[in-house]
Amino acid sequence: MGMLRVMSRRGDDRVTWDEQKVLEGDLEATAAIREAERIFSQERAKGATAFRLDPGKPAQRIEEFDRTAEQIVLVPRVVGG
Amino acid sequence: MILITQQVLTTLGWIVLALAISPMVWLIFQPYFKSLSPAERRANGLLHDILTPEQCRQLVWRGYLEVPSPSTAQRVYRVPRARGYVQVIENGRAVMRLCVQPVECLPDADVVVLHKLMIEANEEHYLQKANKYLCSE
Repeated sequence: MGMLRVMSRRGDDRVTWDEQKVLEGDLEATAAIREAERIFSQERAKGATAFRLDPGKPAQRIEEFDRTAEQIVLVPRVVGG
Repeated sequence: MILITQQVLTTLGWIVLALAISPMVWLIFQPYFKSLSPAERRANGLLHDILTPEQCRQLVWRGYLEVPSPSTAQRVYRVPRARGYVQVIENGRAVMRLCVQPVECLPDADVVVLHKLMIEANEEHYLQKANKYLCSE
């Protein structure tokens, strides 16, 4: 299972997908992954930074949506305070 | 008449006392009320998913999270649990304070995660964005 977590004032919004079901052609799983890709692109266009998180590994910044990731976290653009 | 005056004064005294201590009571209990909000609960879930148990303990007991710099061996970033400056510690000494914040208002726990991820995977950009205040001896 993959999960996209988008930080917001509401905590974090989540979209999950099952890569295996996508490969099997499951329509619902395909729709979920398309939605995750859409949100990813939309937030990146707003300046968000994306990180791929895998258990036991350091976080990795990514530029493109990676459907094989176990977890992707999108953080909003930061500015000097 | 005197008795009534005394009662009124006593009541007024209690009201003044209650008004005086209410800001302090609010300051003490505010974090607990905030942590009850759904946004804070969700953000705490993400925080606990990302931190190790040791890091969670450090955040609770010391009030900050130490994130080692991936580029400089003797540098550690001290991220506060609540909003505030991130301290840069080099060789055990505070050398700089950083002010970085998200453009969108986020729950405190999410801000801690944001600092940790930016430092670990995007340190150069993080330092570019931060306003830096050097610590003088």
